Amino acid sequence: MNIPHKSFPIDDAHREPLRHLLTALADDHLILGHRHSEWTGLGPILEEDIAFSSIAQDQMGHALGFYSLLHEHLDAPDPDIHAFTRQETDFSCCQLVEWPIGDYDFSLTRHLFFDLAAGLRMETLSLSNFKPLAQLATKIRGEVKYHMFHAKTMVSQLGKSSDETARARMQTAINRQFGLALGMFEPRVGEQLLDEANIAPIESKWRDRWLEALNAVLDGTGLHIPDPERIEPVYGGRRGYHTEYLQPLLNEMTEVFRLDPQAEW
Amino acid sequence: MYGGGYIPKEETRKTVVNDDPDMLAAFEARVARGEKVEPRDWMPTEYRRQLIRMIEQHAHSEIIGALPEGTWITRAPGFRRKLALMAKVQDEVGHAQLLYSAAETLGKPREAMINDLINGKSKYSNVFNYPAKTWADVAVIGFLIDAAAIVNQVANSKGSYGPYCRALERICYEESFHLKQGHSVFVYLATGTPLQRSMLQDALNRWWKPIMHFFGPSDEMSEHTLTLMRWKVKMATNDDMRQQFLSLYVPKIQELGLSLPDAELRKDADSGKWLFGDPDWAEFFAVIRGNGPCNAERLAVRKAAEVNGAWVRKALQQADARYVTPLA
Amino acid sequence: MSVEIQSLDPRVNRLGLHTHEPGSPDTLPPHDHWGTYQVFHQKKRGDRHTAVGIVHAPGPELAMAYAKEQFGRRGETANLWVVDTRHVMALDYIDQDMFATTPEKTYRDPGGYKVNDKIDAYREKMSHEHTP
Repeated sequence: MNIPHKSFPIDDAHREPLRHLLTALADDHLILGHRHSEWTGLGPILEEDIAFSSIAQDQMGHALGFYSLLHEHLDAPDPDIHAFTRQETDFSCCQLVEWPIGDYDFSLTRHLFFDLAAGLRMETLSLSNFKPLAQLATKIRGEVKYHMFHAKTMVSQLGKSSDETARARMQTAINRQFGLALGMFEPRVGEQLLDEANIAPIESKWRDRWLEALNAVLDGTGLHIPDPERIEPVYGGRRGYHTEYLQPLLNEMTEVFRLDPQAEW
Repeated sequence: MYGGGYIPKEETRKTVVNDDPDMLAAFEARVARGEKVEPRDWMPTEYRRQLIRMIEQHAHSEIIGALPEGTWITRAPGFRRKLALMAKVQDEVGHAQLLYSAAETLGKPREAMINDLINGKSKYSNVFNYPAKTWADVAVIGFLIDAAAIVNQVANSKGSYGPYCRALERICYEESFHLKQGHSVFVYLATGTPLQRSMLQDALNRWWKPIMHFFGPSDEMSEHTLTLMRWKVKMATNDDMRQQFLSLYVPKIQELGLSLPDAELRKDADSGKWLFGDPDWAEFFAVIRGNGPCNAERLAVRKAAEVNGAWVRKALQQADARYVTPLA
Repeated sequence: MSVEIQSLDPRVNRLGLHTHEPGSPDTLPPHDHWGTYQVFHQKKRGDRHTAVGIVHAPGPELAMAYAKEQFGRRGETANLWVVDTRHVMALDYIDQDMFATTPEKTYRDPGGYKVNDKIDAYREKMSHEHTP
């Protein structure tokens, strides 16, 4: 479908790097939104079930926002086609978001790691020189603020719990996925160009702020992060290398859509 | 979503409690004046017991009702349908929360209600013991079962117990979104490709029987039923609600050129009533006894959610915590 | 006898569940779902906060996190309060009779001071006196 859009002017040199940035953001939110949605109806208590479902819905909404920017400004197909018909190798989500939901400790920790990063990203992107992204990031910020309120409260209260097993579960979840979390900040193609143009910072800047913010969140909770220098970041996702978990999820996500991609559902 | 109009009979009736006749007369006069009964009011023992039963079964129906549609959450086609389905299933969980809260005001803690659900002591709407086999089932559930639930819930929202009415008022509003989104999926399939249409017709054929069962068999007009109607616990007969549902929705199905698997279904010109073939009440009772296609799975899944979440709840528990009955 | 459940829901299959016997002992101990908080919702600035229901929560922060989604996920919200149910004192409805005579105390209401008939009568009287 080729609908003419009122596109924001983008320097030719920035098109490809911007496409990488937006696709990474969109794919991360899409896949994590799907993972989080697996808890809807199955959460640990009704109230938490409802709250976590909203967070999942927000992630899907954010993904739709990023795919829409790609569609409107960078000639990408319509968001549904883009999200639901690509090959696994065309996805550039980080591997953190692909992992199955596991137990609630795993999902909560991932929620904290991801939304802490998302909050920082939206804060900087709300000042981006690519104005359509700045507008979207500004809109998303309020929602991510709630995600962080939820994540911080849950994780810190579980960390401070008098229940030793719960504390151990949370620490184990942090240790297990820390390398995966560092993988959120895999360098992007052309990130330096976007940084110089004040469109988006390089990933390592976001990673450093994230580590600082994460230490602040965990301070006083009894939980701690492993030494980042000793943990190998799990990279590859941004370049289309994925875990064994992504393809089955993509099959599932697209099962109905693929019955007839031309049909209106 | 789902009122689940039918409340099954109890296998053993408790002994009749003799309430204070003066208090009873004052209570009945209040209800007759159209005033609401509130949580800490004096109420007949049987009124309290029947309300707890009815509201908790309604709550169970919501939380179990999240499961058949949840089947399609990860597979919903496209952003719009995915977001709508997630929001809808989330609403079912939200409705369970509101309804359990209303029942709690009558003195039964939520843990006790959930225990009764997963131990099989307490029932929920039969309709959720059927499987959602294809995406078209999401359309049929969202459109027709939510529509049936609205008929039941609008009636109940005019009942006598304040907290239940307040919960239903909000629930009915949210159900109207469910009905609209269900109808939208239904119409897209009905007016879509031959494959989509045949999926929908197949789903409609499979769900029609449970839908006809939804309001339960004709009421026995016993003394007990009449008392519950006088107390505004039961607001309409099962037959009346079923007739209302058929009048509103059969035309909306037929206008799309879809058929219903009951050759005898028609509106009688003289009486204005819908006539239909035997909906197989034997199957209805078999499902209530636990022998439906999905009873075991539904309860196992609900139990697993509670069991898997137990460590989270326990770890967050505060040392000085103490339960008091909520106010409203 | 317990058998592994094969569900149509891929999410459920990933949980690897087994059926259980109905009538097994209670799964949830008392108070497992925590205490409750009363939720007050303000739609717009300038409006009053209105009691809208309860949430189960282990403390005020989670009560707020839960109230936000259970009572603020549609329409407008300006602000929320949550109050531990234990800290709310409520009258019993049996004491509603304390208010029974209040509506009769018209000396407290503007409607208790109707003087238009006096004014009309006075004007009527004056108009006759001035008529030659």
